[in-house]
Amino acid sequence: MNRRQFFKGAGIWGVALGLSYPLLKFVVAKRYRPPRKVHIRDTLETGQFLVEPEFVLFDTLKGPLAISRTCTHLGCRINYQEDEKIFLCPCHQSRFSWDGRYISGPAKRNLARFNVKTLADKKGYLVLL
Amino acid sequence: MIFRSGSIGQVALGALIISGISGIVVAYQYEAAIPFVSSVAIEAVLPFGAFWRALHFWSSQAFVILLGLHVWRRIGDLPRISQSPGKRRHWAVVGTTIPFAIFALFSGYVLRHDATGMAAGSIAEHLMLDVPFIGNGLDCLLISTGSEGVNRIYVVHFLMTVLCWMLGTWYHTKKVILRGGLFLLVLATSLLFSYIVHAPMDLPGQAVHLIKGPWFFLGVQELLRHLTPLVAGVLFPSIPVFLLISLPWFRPARRPLLLLGLWFMVYIPLTLVGWLR
Repeated sequence: MNRRQFFKGAGIWGVALGLSYPLLKFVVAKRYRPPRKVHIRDTLETGQFLVEPEFVLFDTLKGPLAISRTCTHLGCRINYQEDEKIFLCPCHQSRFSWDGRYISGPAKRNLARFNVKTLADKKGYLVLL
Repeated sequence: MIFRSGSIGQVALGALIISGISGIVVAYQYEAAIPFVSSVAIEAVLPFGAFWRALHFWSSQAFVILLGLHVWRRIGDLPRISQSPGKRRHWAVVGTTIPFAIFALFSGYVLRHDATGMAAGSIAEHLMLDVPFIGNGLDCLLISTGSEGVNRIYVVHFLMTVLCWMLGTWYHTKKVILRGGLFLLVLATSLLFSYIVHAPMDLPGQAVHLIKGPWFFLGVQELLRHLTPLVAGVLFPSIPVFLLISLPWFRPARRPLLLLGLWFMVYIPLTLVGWLR
């Protein structure tokens, strides 16, 4: 390798590495997203449930419960099976109880719960995602 | 005589060109902010939408399969390739078109954002995050469906296609070699096939109990039921990529080829098990 080739190679690598840093910093940066509020304009009796895209809402004797529909294994959207009162992941068949506790399958962890409260007029719920 | 030596590579290039052009057409009506709604609109409402979508889907599938066949045919050239450092580097760089092509195809499933597409996106993101040290960076670069929706994977879908085209033409052959007659044959076959066979899409509520991933992902999906995500979804699928790229550095290449064959002997039954579920 002569001096000319060395400087040419060093120049190319220098530019490539010099641009990689700002590129990666730009791409990896996370924009702030405030928590989303989901208003449910519906009232549930104890034992009833409501299926939303991101959670299933139950009303229990202890108050409302919003169980995440995101599987703790690899993030698939899970479905609530009303007849068996379980959550079933369609991707790898992990199972969870109605209140999100892990039963079987590769997930190993309980489902997340979202903050939920009954609206002041008692005619609905507010869920924070 | 339309078919000559090296035809598979050219047919693959023809399929890639059709895939790229039909993809640009589909993109005119696709909206990353409402991916499923716009995909359904393309498929069911817009005039000729189902045709353009099918053309894009099937030509992309054809490209990946033909690319695999093309590489398979070229394995016979390995003794010649392994003798020159330049040719070895060329093989390694061109070999990366296979993971790029598979990722371009895979991201297409995610972009339609039906039940299968959403699951594919979530699984890919979680697998990416399981890669030690660089997982978060890779996820931000390639997927990020959890926080960004399909925005980034939409960009990457185009990027991977362009990379496949650039590496397969300018880098690989130094010029675009594609005979007109052959291209017309590929085009006619693609048009006819896409006119008859629709591209698949899940309807809401269709895949409640079981979602089957893309055909090339079924083996990984099956393995993910039994092994950790890092092993089943990252290490195991990386094996054939690294083996393929490093083939010219082995002289003779019999041992890595045997390993590659062994990998497929495991992966094909896994795919069948996943498919039969």
